[in-house]
Amino acid sequence: MTGPVRGSDVQMTDRWRLHRRRVRVVQMMIGLLVGLAALAGLAAPASADGEAIRVQVKDQQRTADGKTDNQPVPGVTVTVVDATGAEVGSGVTDDKGVVVIPVPGKADYTVRIDESTLPDGKALSEQTPAEQPIAADSFITATRTVNFFTGESQRTETGTAERWLQRLSDGIRLGLIIAMCSVGLSLIFGTTGLTNFAHGEMVTFGAMVAYLFNTMGVHILLATPIAVVAGGLLGYSSDRWGFAKLRARGVGLITQMVITLGISIAAKNFFLWRFGGRNQPYENYTNQVGIEIGPITITPRDLITAILSALVLVAVALTLQYSRLGKATRAVSDNADLASSTGIDSSKVIRLIWIAGGALAALGGVFRGLDEEVSWDLGTILLFLMFAGITLGGLGSAYGALVGGFVIGVLVEMSVLFGVPTELKAAPALVVLILILLVRPQGILGRSQRVG
Amino acid sequence: MDIGFVLTQTVLTFIGFQACYFAIAAIGLNVQFGFTGLLNFGQAAFMAAGAYGMAQTVPIFEISLWWGMFIGIAYALFLGLLMGVPTLRLRADYLAIVTIASAEIVRLVVRSVEFQDTFGATDGLIGYAESFQQVGVDLGLNSTADYGFWIFTFSGRDLWRLIVGWSLVAVFALIVWSLMRSPWGRVLKAIREDEDAVRSLGKSVYSYKLQSLLLGGTIGAFGGMYFAVGQAAVQPDVFSRDLTFFVLTGLVIGGVAKVTGSIIGPMIFWGIYAFLDSLLRELVDKPVRIGDFTLIQSTDIGAVVYMVMGSGLVALMVVRPQGIFGNRKEMAFDGR
Repeated sequence: MTGPVRGSDVQMTDRWRLHRRRVRVVQMMIGLLVGLAALAGLAAPASADGEAIRVQVKDQQRTADGKTDNQPVPGVTVTVVDATGAEVGSGVTDDKGVVVIPVPGKADYTVRIDESTLPDGKALSEQTPAEQPIAADSFITATRTVNFFTGESQRTETGTAERWLQRLSDGIRLGLIIAMCSVGLSLIFGTTGLTNFAHGEMVTFGAMVAYLFNTMGVHILLATPIAVVAGGLLGYSSDRWGFAKLRARGVGLITQMVITLGISIAAKNFFLWRFGGRNQPYENYTNQVGIEIGPITITPRDLITAILSALVLVAVALTLQYSRLGKATRAVSDNADLASSTGIDSSKVIRLIWIAGGALAALGGVFRGLDEEVSWDLGTILLFLMFAGITLGGLGSAYGALVGGFVIGVLVEMSVLFGVPTELKAAPALVVLILILLVRPQGILGRSQRVG
Repeated sequence: MDIGFVLTQTVLTFIGFQACYFAIAAIGLNVQFGFTGLLNFGQAAFMAAGAYGMAQTVPIFEISLWWGMFIGIAYALFLGLLMGVPTLRLRADYLAIVTIASAEIVRLVVRSVEFQDTFGATDGLIGYAESFQQVGVDLGLNSTADYGFWIFTFSGRDLWRLIVGWSLVAVFALIVWSLMRSPWGRVLKAIREDEDAVRSLGKSVYSYKLQSLLLGGTIGAFGGMYFAVGQAAVQPDVFSRDLTFFVLTGLVIGGVAKVTGSIIGPMIFWGIYAFLDSLLRELVDKPVRIGDFTLIQSTDIGAVVYMVMGSGLVALMVVRPQGIFGNRKEMAFDGR
């Protein structure tokens, strides 16, 4: 009995790393299993032929249901050199991704793989670098098996510039998602003064709806618009039958805020109940091979979601800047009373913000689910980063959420480069938050006002 | 189904260890939230400060457990200043955001591998509470023997920690009750109602708010200290965001700005929790299925109970925002 804590909370903020770590563990296990199987199966024939090094090159893939499905990689040149660096033998992998290179005896060797002969878009995984040393005493039988795995974006990050660019690209993707999710949060605050602690669950909701349709056989390309519409409907009904009624009854903002806390607890646990504590991937575009753009490796899926997010955000910004509705939104957000007195129907604007905010949150949730995997607390984890983002940009400011969310995403990913432990990479967001409040409390784009 | 078991669980949890440390934390939160109108959504961080201050003494610093009180208070004051100094001059929402973020960072720091030698990472800390339990034994409570009557039978260890806990609740309730009747407390309530009016009377609103945050945080830290010695182990994930939310839920059930509310509320919270939890466990002894659709199985019970509690909080806030003992007028502040 340790209070209100469940085991599934344990992984909360490590979710960022979880996926990568799991892939790594799976890789190690596969390596072990394949190695053992090869040893068991090949011990007899190989010992008759004398000593040899058997090299297997496999591409790691996952099927839609998350099982690993390794495909052999043929046509890869492999060279074996001895301790002095002299070439002992070489060969090219066959259709089974296997090449057996005879060696003179049990001694120390180095197995080298020619990375330029790998198929386009494939890279060696971090666990199996291009050169693998073989110790003499590791020949348990006459044949020593060496495995090389390839996969998407498992390339070793070597150069500093390369690491920076890779982190930057990860950060941009996270930043775009945070920005998209926080537009609604910021505008709802700006227009009604309500800090919506259940906004993270609106993000999760989008990811869940898409997942639900996706598992019923609807392709993710269709499931995403469904989720966005559902998110908009959720936003509409939250206001229509929820917060608009509370506002009309004159319920205090603090009470409303506690209500959002309650909704957050209820919704989060509903997701945990119906979805379960495990992460699940969407059924489409799960195993993609990273393409290289300069030094950056990115899967086409991530690239396309990033471009789409950027387009959506530009569209949001343009709408806010030029359309009548956008102008009205900014007016209400700036000063609701003044806006009303100029004839703007502020309750209609608020309704529209809820709809748009819900739809954008849902889209952000689906993108986040594609980026990582879908989990019951996907949005809950993002909520704190969203808060940091909108405070940085200026609470309630229309563009502030876009700018602030983006900056926070980049900052969180880049902080690892400055020696911040990966587990603590969310911490710099808080440091920035506190510094901003000390130096420029209205945020980057917020309007200065008399406080305290 | 054994309804007797369900009711026994409910009654015992109502006066149990969890209700007790929640009540201490809620008394602290009430100073900030109820009386001053400060939106502290990071009470879990203050509780963690107290708990880790206690837990670090013997295993990390190798000093007597009782120094932990000072360490815990120091941690809590540091946290309070960190949260309060940048935000208390600003609109109330900023404090809410900074406290919720700080609490999350505190949890991340104490569970990180980087600080394993200081906070014990995910395993947490153990092996410090012997001197606390020894005091109970010295007072004649045999830790293995049972004391009490009817359903109220406790082991010596349980009884000792309950006596200490409810004594702490009484002490802090008395302190807060008398402070809030003092001129100092009246200024806090005035700040909640109209900050500008208080400022125009020449009071330093910022300073009063900071004092309130620090006092409430320190009481929260005592809740954490009591949790640490009562539990004899601390783990980082106890101090999640949900802990703050549940303390807050307990407080608003009882009624904000009422000392009695902050004590009875957490008891009711845990009573309801225990009732739902043991009731569902009695009902769902095997998975309930409708065709292929699994409605609920025993591993879902925790989530379902919290879902119901969350919905209950929403319903309560809509119907009776002031809670059971509260005054509606004292929950009408806007915090802007």
